[in-house]
Amino acid sequence: MSNRKTKLACALLAATALALSSGMALAKDIVLGASVQLTGPSANTGRYYKDAYEFAVDKINEAGGIKVGGEQVKLALKIYDNQSDVNLSVRQYTQLVSQDKVDFLLGPFASNFALADSAVSEKYQIPMVQGGGASDQIFSRNFKYIFGTLAPASNYFGSTVNMLKELDPAPKKVALLYADDAFDVSVAKGTRELLKKAGLDTVMDEKYSSNASDFNSLLSQIKSNGAEAVLVAGHETEILNFVRQAKSLAVAPKMYSFTVGVPSEDFRKALGKDADYAYGMTAWLPSADNKDKWFGDAAQFAEAYKAKYGYEPDYHAASGVADVEAFAQAIVDAGGTDKAKVRDALAKLSLDSLYGKIAFAENGQIDLAQTVIQVQDGKVAAVYGAKGFIEKPKYPMPAWDKR
Amino acid sequence: MDLLAQVLINGILLGGLYAIMALGLALVWGVLNIVNLAHGAFIMLGAYLAWHLYHYLGIDPFLGLPITAIVMFGVGYAVQRGILNLIVRAPMFNTLLITFGIEVVLTYLAQLAFSADFRTINPSYAGSNIAVGPVVIPTVRLAAFGVAIALTVAMWLFLLRTKLGRAIRATAQNLVAARLYGVEPRHLYAMTFGIGIGLAGVAGGLYGTVSQINPYIGATLTAKCFAIAIIGGLDNPLGVIVGGLVLGIIESLAILYIGATFGDVASFGVLVLVLIVRPSGLLGRTA
Repeated sequence: MSNRKTKLACALLAATALALSSGMALAKDIVLGASVQLTGPSANTGRYYKDAYEFAVDKINEAGGIKVGGEQVKLALKIYDNQSDVNLSVRQYTQLVSQDKVDFLLGPFASNFALADSAVSEKYQIPMVQGGGASDQIFSRNFKYIFGTLAPASNYFGSTVNMLKELDPAPKKVALLYADDAFDVSVAKGTRELLKKAGLDTVMDEKYSSNASDFNSLLSQIKSNGAEAVLVAGHETEILNFVRQAKSLAVAPKMYSFTVGVPSEDFRKALGKDADYAYGMTAWLPSADNKDKWFGDAAQFAEAYKAKYGYEPDYHAASGVADVEAFAQAIVDAGGTDKAKVRDALAKLSLDSLYGKIAFAENGQIDLAQTVIQVQDGKVAAVYGAKGFIEKPKYPMPAWDKR
Repeated sequence: MDLLAQVLINGILLGGLYAIMALGLALVWGVLNIVNLAHGAFIMLGAYLAWHLYHYLGIDPFLGLPITAIVMFGVGYAVQRGILNLIVRAPMFNTLLITFGIEVVLTYLAQLAFSADFRTINPSYAGSNIAVGPVVIPTVRLAAFGVAIALTVAMWLFLLRTKLGRAIRATAQNLVAARLYGVEPRHLYAMTFGIGIGLAGVAGGLYGTVSQINPYIGATLTAKCFAIAIIGGLDNPLGVIVGGLVLGIIESLAILYIGATFGDVASFGVLVLVLIVRPSGLLGRTA
């Protein structure tokens, strides 16, 4: 008897719970979950994503949220700190999906993380829009639920190589250095092809260990083989060491360009005057031409962002905001939070935003042109874009003792 | 040929920096039998201290080294007196655990206090160099090398000649006998650890002038220091110089001749080789 009673009670309880949860679902926020690097060696860039996600979600909610099936719904965030540990981030994404039951996933920073974490979104068939991983590897596995708002790694140096041909005097010998992680290996693979096509002589093509702090041997080699243009794909700590050690060994090629660092304020602050002449690239500049539904335009966004967080947003932050906006629009288009429908809406998305046009290719990755930028007198100047030179690049780089 | 000469110079100068980083670790390990896994974190703290002295008070990083050393000595003394003395005679596993814990705490406190921003100590002469024929010698690295040699020799003389140095060695060799002669081990342990951390502070100040500082540099530095201490041996501070130089030169040559991903492979390969052939280090006494 008592057994049957318990069963009945359980059934009642379950029914109430169901009724409650379905009742609440109508007014419930749409939760976007993410695991980002807030501590650990990648925290320097990882934190940009948390700030960007929050900034975008707050702005959308301030405007009343989004309209889903005739009702205004707000967005919410659930963010974990993965301590710059890939394995932990995979566990956290699994937890976000299976225990926290978030509606959709935003991405982590860095390709190696996105590469691993996208396996979770694919397994549970829950869309992930990530703005932190650019490696072509992420999008070459025929995954259906991963979308990326960073331009392909293989083309990071595309505009730079085009520019090399138009510089006067054009550099002929090129050195390519890259770190041994997913993103930088993809960059190197693409750049190698580009250099070959451009008819440039690659005198050095060298992979180095991630987190290397000593570049003296490599720099001495660059000096000895006479490379005029040096392209480095690596992490910000490595680039800082590279530039400092280049100075102390008096290694001054005609130009050097880095995949990271140059767009971020932190990098220029750490190096001071020594950051000058360094080239980099960005798929995003805070231009008023990029109109945005929620922020007005990219220039207004950059100003408001700096006022709130105390640093200038770079393309990482803009890409993070684009991820949230992509979901907001796709959910509206899909008319609800059905995972498969939102996935299809994302695939069809075409949204003008502060980040530029958000539209994903068949493989899920966005394609944006990289603008070549250079640090000139402590500020970032856009020097070369799709239509050629924008501002005059400071070229060639003078010797270190003649600056 | 020029390239080889340049890379050898690079390796030697790098070795000097390695030596000063490992000196404190080797001292603490040799005398207290504590493998201080937080050593790199203390180097990181020293680097931040030197950065603040330079950035806010305008104190030149080299002139600031004594201040950094004294402050870090105080920190080290307090950590040993307050925490490590409790477990100094416990099995090694306990000391590993507690120093690992200190490492984690220091790292995350540093992130809270200083954020994850990258910093550099960048005085006007930081990138200057001296050209000797075709070879370029970075001034700051040369100066750091000089400081490393000077401090190591000073350390050696201190342990050999002074009363405190002898007491430290005596305690390491035979605690009971040392106590019979009036040595107060708690104070002495704290002095030793304080000196070790003071040296870490100096290493941090020098590291900040040639590299970049962030809260997470500690762990890799500890690993490097560990390798150097083993290669050089713990009996003699001069062993650390040898260990540092061996590691610096081998890494530089491996990067030049084998490939840039092989620096660590080569250095830890040497470590294994030393453990097999001369387990007490290159300058250590053979058992």
